[in-house]
Amino acid sequence: MSPEPVLAVTDLHVHYRRVHALRGADLTVAPGETVGVIGETGSGKSTLARAIVGLVRPSAGRITIAGQEVAGLRGGGWRALRRRGVVQYVFQDPLRSLDPDLTVEESLLEPLLIQGRPRRAAAERVRELLERVRLDEDLLGRLPGELSGGQRQRVTIARALATEPRLVILDEPVSALDAANRVRALEFFQELRDAGTALVFISHDLGSVAGVADRIAVLFQGEIVEEGPTREVVNAPRHAYTRLLIGSAPTLRSARVARAEREELRELLRTNGGPA
Amino acid sequence: MVLRLASGRIAVGILGVIALLAVLGPIIAPHDPLEGGTDILASPSAAHWLGTDYLGRDVLSRLLDGSRVSVLGAVQVALIALVVGVVPGILSVYLGRPFEWVTLRLADTLIALPFLVFAVAVTALLGNGIPQAMFVVGIMVSPLFYRVARAATLSVARSPYVEAAILAGASVGWVVRKHVWVKVLPPIAVALANTTGVGFVVVSSLTFLGIGVQPPAPTWGGVLAADLGYLSFQPWAPLAPTALIMATVWACNLLADAIRDVTGEAGRALLNTRTVHAAKEAR
Repeated sequence: MSPEPVLAVTDLHVHYRRVHALRGADLTVAPGETVGVIGETGSGKSTLARAIVGLVRPSAGRITIAGQEVAGLRGGGWRALRRRGVVQYVFQDPLRSLDPDLTVEESLLEPLLIQGRPRRAAAERVRELLERVRLDEDLLGRLPGELSGGQRQRVTIARALATEPRLVILDEPVSALDAANRVRALEFFQELRDAGTALVFISHDLGSVAGVADRIAVLFQGEIVEEGPTREVVNAPRHAYTRLLIGSAPTLRSARVARAEREELRELLRTNGGPA
Repeated sequence: MVLRLASGRIAVGILGVIALLAVLGPIIAPHDPLEGGTDILASPSAAHWLGTDYLGRDVLSRLLDGSRVSVLGAVQVALIALVVGVVPGILSVYLGRPFEWVTLRLADTLIALPFLVFAVAVTALLGNGIPQAMFVVGIMVSPLFYRVARAATLSVARSPYVEAAILAGASVGWVVRKHVWVKVLPPIAVALANTTGVGFVVVSSLTFLGIGVQPPAPTWGGVLAADLGYLSFQPWAPLAPTALIMATVWACNLLADAIRDVTGEAGRALLNTRTVHAAKEAR
């Protein structure tokens, strides 16, 4: 059971001028698999996501999407790949990732029209998408400013699904949502996974990821310090940073990890980056 | 779209009349605009509805005859500013560093260039005439348009919704057409309305240098300038050319506001609510 992975990242390095944001990350996603990437602000998780879709140029390493090597692609090659709609991306902030001057319908039509589909077929597809994310057809003529936060996020997810991607990168998809909408979004991601779409779910919050992800990768200071099945990572974390993350989760569980132990772990990370 | 707003309808109406004047003005002028008479600085009468000027020429005929030159001049200034300013302003964000650097330095140079020196130099090179004069004005105002267009483009170029379009495989042309243009248009429309007004006045101010419109050929600005010299005899005389210039500039501004309102997000929402209200009333 080892079909060709839909995404394979090997020894990926990204530099922002002098800052070494990603130091040799490896990540493999099998078709239909959901991989959670967790880490704190500045750990390089957004950089990883943006490098995968070509918004950031890696300084070294390989990225393979559905068998195609993409790290060396230039403008035209990327455009051709993106028009096939194999990979899609859901941004963190649903308000800013929708053009304020375009109606819901225009935003949803965009990826389909870019692909060159005829307008009528595209409009039909938009209606299917709305149904899939459970949005009312009345909303088609609305502007993003006239929607609620949860509705907006569902529009951006519908847009990402328009081209029937095999892989969707979710960059902090629930951070901007309130509790009720967060639960609904997470349920929807589970449905999406069950339907066979591979997901890379990026978050700083282990709790959001743990319910959806098959595997979890922990990013710390630009390196993946721990990776394994969700259950293992959550129940038997090996790396000090993972233990700290689980210990810091604002749930009742965190009461179990004493404050002194958390400080001890922090100290450990400060001195040597933690044991492997 | 613009016509759905009352202000838009008024603006288009006024500009339509002005355009009509530009086409028909020289034909419907009751007198020869260049023929003087003994009856100088006359008050309005049945023969001369707006009186006569200091050479006894019919003021109404001069205004009507000058409308074509004035309007065409202002339009030419606007078009040059659009092509020389707005287009490179948008492209400076997308065509890479070298193009950006060169156009920025060119814009800086034009801002530093003394207007009159440039005007005289262009006239010396290209010969004297109205198109050359308006070319000078258009070039001189283009850095403003370049800056405005570039700033508006920069503000949307890195936004997540443009990135989303790029991730869907959109080309630069698509991004500019679908996302950037709508954001650039409103500030440009406002700048354009202002420039049109400046254009009328500048045409006449260049005349004293012997550039552009040559006396005795009439323009609105020229008639106004001549009237100002005889204020003590005819204090009311500047009102007619002033009214024409003001009406045009005001209509341009009104149109610019209307364009901003219907293209911007606020305006779209406004029109949406109006449509909803109208639908409710229809029920």
